[in-house]
Amino acid sequence: MQSKTIGVLVILALIFAPQYLPVYAMTLLTELVILALFAMSLDLMVGYTKLVSFGHAGAYGLGAYVFGLLSLHTNIALPFGVFLSAVIVGIVAIGIAWSCTMATGVSFAMLTLAFGQLGYAVSIKWVSVTGGSDGLSGIPRRLGPFGWAMLTTKTGFYLFALTCLIGSYFFCRALIRAPFGQVLRGIRENEMKVFALGYNTRRYKIAVVSLAYFFAGMAGALYASFAGFANPEMLFWTVSGQVLIMVIVGGKGTLIGPMLGAIFFIMVEHKLSELTESWGLFMGIIFIGFVMFAPDGIFGILNKNVSKRFNKKSLFPQDAGNGAGDQQL
Amino acid sequence: METFSFILIQTLNALSQASLLFFLGSGLALIFGIMRVVNFSHGALYMLGAYIGYTTARLTGSVWVAMVISPLIVGAIGLIFELGFLRHLYKRDEDAFLLVTFGLTLVLAEITRLFWGAPPLQVAIPKGLDSVVFIFDEPMPTYKIFLIAAGAIASTFIWIFLERTRLGLLIRATSQNSQMLHALGTDINLIRSGVFALGCALAALGGVLAAPSVTASLGMSSAVIDAFVIVIIGGMGSFLGAIFGSLIVAGVQTFGNYFFPDFALVFLYALMLAVLIVRPGGLLGKEA
Repeated sequence: MQSKTIGVLVILALIFAPQYLPVYAMTLLTELVILALFAMSLDLMVGYTKLVSFGHAGAYGLGAYVFGLLSLHTNIALPFGVFLSAVIVGIVAIGIAWSCTMATGVSFAMLTLAFGQLGYAVSIKWVSVTGGSDGLSGIPRRLGPFGWAMLTTKTGFYLFALTCLIGSYFFCRALIRAPFGQVLRGIRENEMKVFALGYNTRRYKIAVVSLAYFFAGMAGALYASFAGFANPEMLFWTVSGQVLIMVIVGGKGTLIGPMLGAIFFIMVEHKLSELTESWGLFMGIIFIGFVMFAPDGIFGILNKNVSKRFNKKSLFPQDAGNGAGDQQL
Repeated sequence: METFSFILIQTLNALSQASLLFFLGSGLALIFGIMRVVNFSHGALYMLGAYIGYTTARLTGSVWVAMVISPLIVGAIGLIFELGFLRHLYKRDEDAFLLVTFGLTLVLAEITRLFWGAPPLQVAIPKGLDSVVFIFDEPMPTYKIFLIAAGAIASTFIWIFLERTRLGLLIRATSQNSQMLHALGTDINLIRSGVFALGCALAALGGVLAAPSVTASLGMSSAVIDAFVIVIIGGMGSFLGAIFGSLIVAGVQTFGNYFFPDFALVFLYALMLAVLIVRPGGLLGKEA
């Protein structure tokens, strides 16, 4: 089967899922769609530009809070609210990225962690705006534009979140295939060389961080609308760690991989938490195993096996050739 | 006189805090100097040190024994982890090291929760140090004075070890040019393992010392951020920088918390960014 056929089938299955799945499964699926968007946004940084971030929860939480405040204090329609929140997070990200890109490599990662924790501290301390440790609750889901009521239903909201995910995916895919994406991959492989070719690499890095924050903010806004609340836990560094696990386990630098990673993470969490309370322990061990022995993640493993069976180069030649196969983490 | 005694007391508070931060930051700086990588699990090892110290103190009835046993155990854990996992990652990207030690952080945090439970544990101040001394009529816990002394003694010893012994010379040489040292016939893998274990043991000692004043809690693992701020300010891989960084960070934390309780953290990060702009390699580090 061609990769395009698989893609179309998966999208169709997701669109028609609400008609066949029970309500509780739909709740889980909606959450998954949101997390997949969150994980994919981080892949732009980690997978394509080698900017490892331990503070991505900051973008997610900020998006949730901005959306919460917008919905509580104005009667902005859901799609506009989500988009506006994402834009605001993307703008804030420029300042954060400007600071963090002063350092490179591991220092960059630790600076993002510091900024993430700063956001967490602000969300707890700035009680008058953020509601302190209780967070914002009772975030209403306003009607769509022109009084469109469909988005307020469970199915409608799921389809809206799915549209956001698919739209973002195609946008990111186009972006990484464009010259902009080539420069990012150049930075990943050898930043000095790209710099010597006359590219202002720092500006590119700031741009990609801003974009990644934009999509993570969108995911956060969707989550706030989905759950009806935003709280400081969303900004805590363990959330940043979880989304990083999704990206690495799923397969970085592939866009699709991190989504698979999000599915894997949620499945493991659900299955293991039925069996044992300390599922985090096994998640940590699984994560170490992937980093040590399968740096290409689930996507890399699938891709290798499928291409062997069909004696083809690979299932997704463009993505895999540039991301999954050719370099180690 | 009022202001003078106030400043003196706050300075002593800051110094005792700096001493704890020193144990955290110096281990991270040593590991970074040798391996050019950040040990993300440093905060978790600090936490583990505090918990093992708690149990040892309860079993043996002496915090002094805990100060020896806990660093030994945590150092051994670090050694095992270095031999089993990290050793195979030196040829890979530095990010792999960060991610694997992050995985270790998750595992250690979960194991700690399983063994000791989630609620924080109170560790008693060792006998003989649980009194209060009066400095200009202001009360000052003896334990804090002890912490200052411990930090001063430990930093002096480590400095002498690094600068005046042959092993210290080899460690410094590894951080400057490990391949050359290897070519000259030194087993750099042995040095790396040893320094990693030493760094972990220092973090654990910091944990044991911190436990009586802050209680042993799972939140201690986010201390890795403090440790990292110290290393950024002082200079990546510089031991003197770590001492310097701990003093600055402790000063900002103590005085910042007193005057602007809500903005102390912002001050600290602003300071870190300022250092990064002016001297990207840190105050005492090499130019990055």
